[in-house]
This record gives sequence, C-alpha cells and structure tokens, in this order.
Amino acid sequence: MGTAQDETRRPASRLADYWPSGLAVPAFMISWSILVLLPIVIIVAFSFLQMKSYRVVYEPTLATWTNIIVSERWFTVVRTLRIALTITAIELLLAFPFALWMAKRCRSKSLKAMIVTLLTIPFFLDMSSRIIVWRSILDVNGGINSLLLNLGLIDAPIQWLLYSEFAVHFGMIGSYFPAMVFPIFTSLVLIDDEYIHASGDLGGNPLQTLRYIILPLAMPGIVAGIIFTLVPLMAAFVEPRMLGGGFVNLLGDSINSALQELKYPTAAALSTIVIVALGVLMVVLVKLIGRREGNTSLFQVVQR
Amino acid sequence: MTAAAIDTDNRNADPAMRRVHVRDHLRTASRIAVLLGGGALALIYLPLLWLAVMSFARNPLSGIPMPLTTMHYQAILNDVRWVKPLLTSIALSAIVALVCMIAATLVARAAIRMRKPGVMLLVSLAPLFIPGLTMGAALFISLRMLMNLTLGLWSIFLAQFIWAFPFALLMVLIVASRFDTRLLHAAEDLGATPWQRFWDIEVPLLRPGIIGAGIFAFLLSFNELLRSLFVRGQDTTMPIYNWIMAASQQSQVPIIFALTTLVLFVTLPITAASFWYVFVKLDKS
Repeated sequence: MGTAQDETRRPASRLADYWPSGLAVPAFMISWSILVLLPIVIIVAFSFLQMKSYRVVYEPTLATWTNIIVSERWFTVVRTLRIALTITAIELLLAFPFALWMAKRCRSKSLKAMIVTLLTIPFFLDMSSRIIVWRSILDVNGGINSLLLNLGLIDAPIQWLLYSEFAVHFGMIGSYFPAMVFPIFTSLVLIDDEYIHASGDLGGNPLQTLRYIILPLAMPGIVAGIIFTLVPLMAAFVEPRMLGGGFVNLLGDSINSALQELKYPTAAALSTIVIVALGVLMVVLVKLIGRREGNTSLFQVVQR
Repeated sequence: MTAAAIDTDNRNADPAMRRVHVRDHLRTASRIAVLLGGGALALIYLPLLWLAVMSFARNPLSGIPMPLTTMHYQAILNDVRWVKPLLTSIALSAIVALVCMIAATLVARAAIRMRKPGVMLLVSLAPLFIPGLTMGAALFISLRMLMNLTLGLWSIFLAQFIWAFPFALLMVLIVASRFDTRLLHAAEDLGATPWQRFWDIEVPLLRPGIIGAGIFAFLLSFNELLRSLFVRGQDTTMPIYNWIMAASQQSQVPIIFALTTLVLFVTLPITAASFWYVFVKLDKS
C-alpha cells in the first residue's frame, strides 16, 4: 500500500496533505491500545491478586493459580481445547471443498453473490435465539425425536440428542462455518487460474494440482480460517450454556460463573488461560506454515 | 476416488479418455463439496425457519408445531418489557456506527499515506484475535474492579466499539487502498483548500466504503452479546434481554421465539439488501 504513490510524493513539508489525519495515527494508536490491549494486560496481572471482603489486595500471590491446578478446573481446560479443535477440524473439512467449489467451479455470478450474502448474514444474527432453537429440535420431545418416532424408526426417544456434548458440537457447526469459509474462499479466489491450467497441461492430475499448487497457495487463508474459528471457540459460552444443560462445562461458562460468584481473580486466571492457549496455538500454526513456506518458495523457483 | 485410481487412469487411457475421467472425478468432487457446504448452510438457516414456525406453536419447545396459535404474539403486545432494550439497542448501535464511520475513515486514510502501515493495522485488528467473552471480562475487571467506575451504557458502547471498529476499518480500507492520491495533488494545484480536497474529493470516492462500514458497525453492535454482557451495569440491550430470557426463565422462551421472529422479519431483508448494496458497490469501485 502506498508504494504506487511514492514516485509522485511531494516533499514531506506539505503537511496539508495529511490533514486532518496528521495527528490521527498517534492519537488513535495510543487510545486504541489503552482501550483494547491494556485491559488484556490488566486481566493477566489481576490473576495474581486476591480479593478480601470485596476489595482488591495489591499483593502478588499464586493462590488463584494453585487453586486452579489443584481443583478440577484442568478438566475444563482440556475439554475446551478438545471441543474447540474438533469443531475447527470439522469446519475445515466442510469449508475447504465448498470454498474451492465457490472460487473455481461455481460459474454463476449471482449464485456466488447469493452464497456470500447467506454466509455473511449469520454474523449479524442474535446468538441466543439462534442457539435456543436447537432445544426444540433436539429435545426428548423435540422435532427430530417426534419425526423418528412417527416414522417408526425408533421405539423410545433418543436421550443424548440434547444436553450432551453431541448437542454442543451440533449447535457449534453452523455458528462457526462462515468464519472458516471466508478467509479460505478469499485466498482461493486470488489464485490465478493459469497456474491450475498449467498444472493440468503439464500432466498433473487434479489431486496433484490440489496438493502442489492450490494447497500451498491457499495456506494463508487456511491458517486465517483456523484462527478465526478457534478464537471464538476457545471462549464459547452460549452453546455449552444452552445445549449442554450443565453437563458440558467449558472455559466460557467457568469465566461467567466465576464472575457471578464474585471470584474475580479466578475469572482473570481462566481468561489468561484462554489467551495463552490461543497464543500458543497461533504460534504453532505460524511455525507449521513457516515449514510449508519451503514448499511455496520452491514452487516459485520452479516457476521461474 | 483415490490417488492410485487416478494414476491408473493416467497410464492406461489415451488422452481423450483421460480427460473424460478427470471431468467425471471433478464433477463428483464438486457434488460432494456442494453437499458439505449446503449442509452447513442448512444448519444455519433451517433452525431460523423452525424458529419462525414454532413461534406459532402453543409450546415452542415441543417437537410438533400443532396446535397453531398467535398467543405468543399477543403476549408480546401485552408484556412490553422488551421495548426499552430494543430502543436502547437501536440508539446505541446508531452511535457506534457513526463513531466507527468517522474513526475508520480517519485511520484508513492515514494508513494509505503511511510507508509501513503494518503494525498499526495489526493493532487495529487485535480485537479479532481476542474472544468476546475474554474481552468482556477484561473490560469489566479493568473498569469496575481497578478503576471503580459505575458501568452502564457508556461501557457497553466501548465494548461494542472495540468489536465493530476493526470491521469498519477493513471496509473503508478496501476502498481507500485503491484511492489515487494524485487526485488530491491535482486539486491542490487547481487551488482547492485542504477541506475542499477532503470533502469534495476524498469523501465522495470513499463513500461506498464508509457506508459499508456504517452498516457493518450497526449490525455488529446491534447483535453484540458476549462483550456487552459483563459491562452492562444496570442497562440492557436487546441481545442481553434475549439472553436473560432464554437462559434463566423457561417460561419466557415462547416470547423469545415470537420476538426474535419479528426482529428477524424486519432485519433479515434489510441486512440482505445492505449486503447486496455493499457487494455491488465495492465490486464497481
């Protein structure tokens, strides 16, 4: 960005060019950091403090952390990670083929625009009402059980459809699908069709083209999709609360109940776990893509 | 279809046959892809349809929509506790949208003039990498516990602004990155004042992005729950009202179904139409 204008740039003394943005950058950077980044630093620091009779005691302690390690909260962390990674994997399997089809096989422009609109709308839907519908579908007396009973496929209602890990997974798949499709779709659209044709002309079959041309070039989009799916999943709250029925306790629930029980340092520590876990997962992803980068640059060398 | 199968095809068949095989495989693969994606879309939209149907059922949480009744819609008319949260949400979202439009325009036009906007953009987009609930908890502990402030509409505004601004910025940036700053130099040579250059040249050219930013910010703010929930103080927005009704009081579920159906009935067409506008406009510019 900006490189195109460099040749035509006037001497820097013409500050008028920057008006009224001259002060915008530093002012914005400072206030935005205070607004967004400082609270995150504070919440991490807060996990090392304690509360005594509703007042903060400014004396560093590891009490909250030892309590978390001793108590069964570790299971919650593991469960959250397991469910978040499972859903991310499912979304990737659903989204990549679909995004590839949208980017390279879907010929109708208006159909594509319609799908993009359909994928965008869910970002703007009320979460609780979207998720609570699943109750009336999955309940013991709900839609699916009634249908199966009436068709004579089952004799007694299936109990595990609602208030189970199954229900939580099921409710999440729809919610987090668009977040995975969009980045992958964007990166696939940017791949020049010439590369794909060239691969075919040189005798590569579709699977080879996918493996050696499309996947490496789409990697940034795939990584972005994984991140944008993982981020909300690590603190998912509405789905486990409404569909788990108290049986599927995730970090999001724990943070919420800790806040309601006025256990603020515990809530801070659990939030810190979410932030650290996400940070580690992102670093691992970027490392993985770094190794893949070898393939991509190799491809670029061959291309020349 | 396996790699081995395709390899055999490659070796045995003549080129024409091979092309036919490849086309068949691709068609099967396409069908599977459409099936997977369509299934996921169905998981999003069928529940919405079910929501609308069950809002007319006597017991929305039962599996059968019969007997049909409009009693929940009458209940909404009689119990008007939802009106205030709705009005709060509309007013708050409008303010968030307006502030986002202004801030995003200022930051985006600064970004395209910078040699290395990378760090600033990364910091701007930071909220996308922080889960909503975590951000909400962090704001609550910072504002309430550390600074001892009384939370309310102002803190809900901050939480929603944090969420909406990155998207607004991206919308303006899409348009602004294609903006040719030479136009401004030309205008300057022709004697335009800085304000004229900004208002008569930059703003009209950036308008699709700015309007898109406003639409996105309004809708994101209107439906925001996870960040607002903890910093709401004594105030309630529509999503918070829905959440409280849906999460705690079983008896209020029918009202939620009817109310959400009405809200969706109004917002879905508007949302779809705005996106159509945004996508078409951005496509043209």
